Amino acid sequence: MKINYNIKDKFDVVIFLSVLVLIGVGLIAVFSSTYNHPTAKGNFNKQFIFAIVSVILFFIFYFLPARTFRVVAIPVFLISLVLLIAVIFFGVTVYGAKSWMSIGPIGFQPSEFAKIGTILFLAHWLSTPKRDINNLKELFLTVSLSLIPILLILMEPDMGTAIVYISISLVMIFWSGISLFGIFVVVSPGVILFASLFGTPMFLFALGAVVVALFLFKQDLFTSGTVFVMNLAAGFAFELILKILKPHQVNRILSFVDPYSDPLGSGYNALQAQVAIGSGGLSGKGFMQGNQTQLRFIPEQWTDFIFCVVGEEFGFIGSVVVLTLFLIVFIKLLNLTSIAGDKFDKLVVVGILTLFFVHFAINIGMNLGITPVIGLPLPFISYGGSSLITNMILLAIAFNIFKNRKYHT
Amino acid sequence: MDENYFGSPIRKQIFFFIILGFFSLQVFQLVRMQLLNTDKYEEKSNENSIKTNIINPARGLLYDRNINLLVGNKASFILRVTPDHYRNSNTKKIETVLNADSGYVDQILQKNRKYSKYSPRNIMRNVTNEVISWVDENKDKLPGVDYNVQTQRDYSFGVTGSHAFGYTKEIDNKALSSLKDIYSMGDYIGASGIEKTYEKYLRGSKGKEYFVVNSRQKVVGKYKEGREDIPPQKGNDLILTIDKNTQIAAEEALTDYTGAVIALEPQTGEILAFVSAPEYDLSNFASVTSSDFWDTLSSDTTKPLFNRVTMSRNPPGSTFKMLIAFAGLEEKIISKNFSVNCKGGHRFGNRFFRCTHQHGYVNMTSAIERSCNTYFYQLILKLGIDNLYKYSKMFHFGEKTRIDIGQEFKGLIPSKEYYDKVYGEGRWTNGNLLSLGIGQGEILTTPLQLAQYAALLANFGKTKTPHLVRGYIESETNRYVPLEYDSIEVNISRTSFNVIRKGMYNVVQGVDGTAKWIKLKDIEISGKTGTAQNPHGEDHALFIAFAPFDNPKIAVAVIVENVGYGSTYAAPIARRVIKAYLQPEKEKLELFTSN
Repeated sequence: MKINYNIKDKFDVVIFLSVLVLIGVGLIAVFSSTYNHPTAKGNFNKQFIFAIVSVILFFIFYFLPARTFRVVAIPVFLISLVLLIAVIFFGVTVYGAKSWMSIGPIGFQPSEFAKIGTILFLAHWLSTPKRDINNLKELFLTVSLSLIPILLILMEPDMGTAIVYISISLVMIFWSGISLFGIFVVVSPGVILFASLFGTPMFLFALGAVVVALFLFKQDLFTSGTVFVMNLAAGFAFELILKILKPHQVNRILSFVDPYSDPLGSGYNALQAQVAIGSGGLSGKGFMQGNQTQLRFIPEQWTDFIFCVVGEEFGFIGSVVVLTLFLIVFIKLLNLTSIAGDKFDKLVVVGILTLFFVHFAINIGMNLGITPVIGLPLPFISYGGSSLITNMILLAIAFNIFKNRKYHT
Repeated sequence: MDENYFGSPIRKQIFFFIILGFFSLQVFQLVRMQLLNTDKYEEKSNENSIKTNIINPARGLLYDRNINLLVGNKASFILRVTPDHYRNSNTKKIETVLNADSGYVDQILQKNRKYSKYSPRNIMRNVTNEVISWVDENKDKLPGVDYNVQTQRDYSFGVTGSHAFGYTKEIDNKALSSLKDIYSMGDYIGASGIEKTYEKYLRGSKGKEYFVVNSRQKVVGKYKEGREDIPPQKGNDLILTIDKNTQIAAEEALTDYTGAVIALEPQTGEILAFVSAPEYDLSNFASVTSSDFWDTLSSDTTKPLFNRVTMSRNPPGSTFKMLIAFAGLEEKIISKNFSVNCKGGHRFGNRFFRCTHQHGYVNMTSAIERSCNTYFYQLILKLGIDNLYKYSKMFHFGEKTRIDIGQEFKGLIPSKEYYDKVYGEGRWTNGNLLSLGIGQGEILTTPLQLAQYAALLANFGKTKTPHLVRGYIESETNRYVPLEYDSIEVNISRTSFNVIRKGMYNVVQGVDGTAKWIKLKDIEISGKTGTAQNPHGEDHALFIAFAPFDNPKIAVAVIVENVGYGSTYAAPIARRVIKAYLQPEKEKLELFTSN
């Protein structure tokens, strides 16, 4: 085994430093938004400890042997599913979702850690030799497996995290070389289900569109018929889901359709967040000087609305620096998908990249008022131990893949 | 499809462009929000977190001509309610504490309902310290209830001056809508007298204090350490023409009467005393005016709100005789030696116009001294109505004096046209003229016009527009700024003045003078008695005067309503006012010894 002394070849310093800066920005923003807060004042110290723990975990995972992740993929996924089921029964409700579990003194969110298991498992499943994603039967099986964690998370219900899982699954399937028709088969039932939320006319309209598309794809009658029945089933599944779920859970799902009418006032939060960011101007109001932040116009600002602390206190310059650091991380991870060892490694990196990017796009989007308010933290910056530790472990896995890329060539 | 394989470059590119697309969209949105629309968001952010507290300026004070305070200010607490976070369940408690009728608070809130629910409503002024401590102690249970300190007028300086000073009142909704840049709801505005005319001098400018509030509207500190605060600018103090001592004397002299006293400095038109009786207590207007108080004043049959100085119109009576005499002399219709044998009246056609006595032979001077009607009946017949009208106008009767305060009437001087209109052309005779010759009949004058007339007599036809304010002290610079007034000049020869003024001298100083009993040893008062015929009741007593004769410093007009003959009631009031002005120390001493 040849030892490579060039650290650049084993460790992507640019990504690592970018992420450290983002964590630093997060600590500054958490400090600023909680310093004058009566109950959240300790959050900075906690986040500081989380940051140290996550960096230690990062190095542990970074130094794990190359094959570790494909070996543990299935067990980790199964443990994740057990935790996701357990949280539905034993979880603690926070902000309307039963997403928290306590083991001894430590509270954590299974849906965060399950991200690792899901990505590893999907990568493993999709990289199995002779896997043909364009075979309808295999595709159906793949989608069904992906849906297990998604449905469990929807039962909490945590719509935001479910969207992340859906995105990860879709992108990884996409990466596996699915055909346009395959994409249609996967996406159309989701579209039908979504359309049913808006009532029967929308459902029928979407179903009509599916029929037209099937006609254009010119597949054989059996295949087309199966897909049509799947779509029809998705529409009726919605009715079924409504019957199974409790009324308050139904309301929560329905309120997702129009987040601005959220009774918890997320529309108000979004507006205040925009005022905070817009009033920051070019260079911001200065550290601890943002009146929107310091006077607590945005509740729980250190979690999902942390970006507006940056926008208000560090202005356009600070905001663009943060966005650019994320862009660097994304582009470098995207490049890693080409140079990483085998299909498994590549799919893991794609999954990690998708996870970071979906969080980033939705979180920044809702802070800027260009996407609906969906509760998702901003990776590395938002307050929260589960999220930070999960993200650093995922990053470490990507680094581990980078380090070991040459064993496969 | 060739591209349908694992990790194909096109799939990587799609992902790349999605990342780049989101990044660009976010940067674009940041440019729009933080660089192009910063002002808009900044404004919203400030609206959110900056609370403006208006500091009302102290109203300018009123000083007399010798810088004695006439109207001051004192601090008072106002209880306020801000509808936005007010709880109606507290209304009952507040009404109990305020000792107010049930429904009092609701009535005020209802009246102002169209204004922003975030601006506080003044519920009651001048509340006691007990109420304030109650609010302080129960702050948490009384959301939307607070108090504010405002200055209010203090009238405890020994002068009443109700009609001269005037009152302030809470600005009404109609005035507020046209002046909303300057005033806000609950502000006091001058509503009559000097307070009204000089409102823009007195009001000052409001200060602003900015506070930072949190999302629960709780104050957490001063905005920018108070660097953006605007201090209130106190109103300008006015220096009045009033002489406090003279004003008090005039007020006291009229205490038991209905009428008016007005004293002027002849050379300048400066008003030394301005009293319309009965007066009313201005301090009742300083707190929220109870409707009871207003109703009492409005329904009082003696009409205390009526400003008699400028608005009561009565015939000038014999005080008009000097004007008739001027016309005779100046038009050269008679000489100063023209004399008449008074046999107690004058027969005109089949009517006999009476004189007060059988005066025998009287010339111009003695006709004024003894107020002989017969002399003036004959003189007016020689003069004719046109001359009477001409000379009345020369002395500014029948027109407004343009005094700086209050509503004013111009009175009436009949002309040929007037009679033609009233009686028809050719259907009136010189019989109508005879009454005019002794200041009766249709002629109507105001006490202020009579005072101006007295000033013109005192100062040989020269004075200025009568006024109550000399100037003001600009509060920003502390500089005195005098105000200018128009000159009035009556073009009449000094020799005529000498003849007529001699007559007025004799009214008090002469052996046959109609007011000889008000003669003083050391002040040579000149004057003229008059009786205004009143078809509705007893005649009004009139007296115009000036003193000292050689170098007049004060001219006075007095009207006492419904008491009869002028000499008895009006003349001593004039003397008291003159003494108060010319011998303030002596007057005080006499008051002291008489007590």
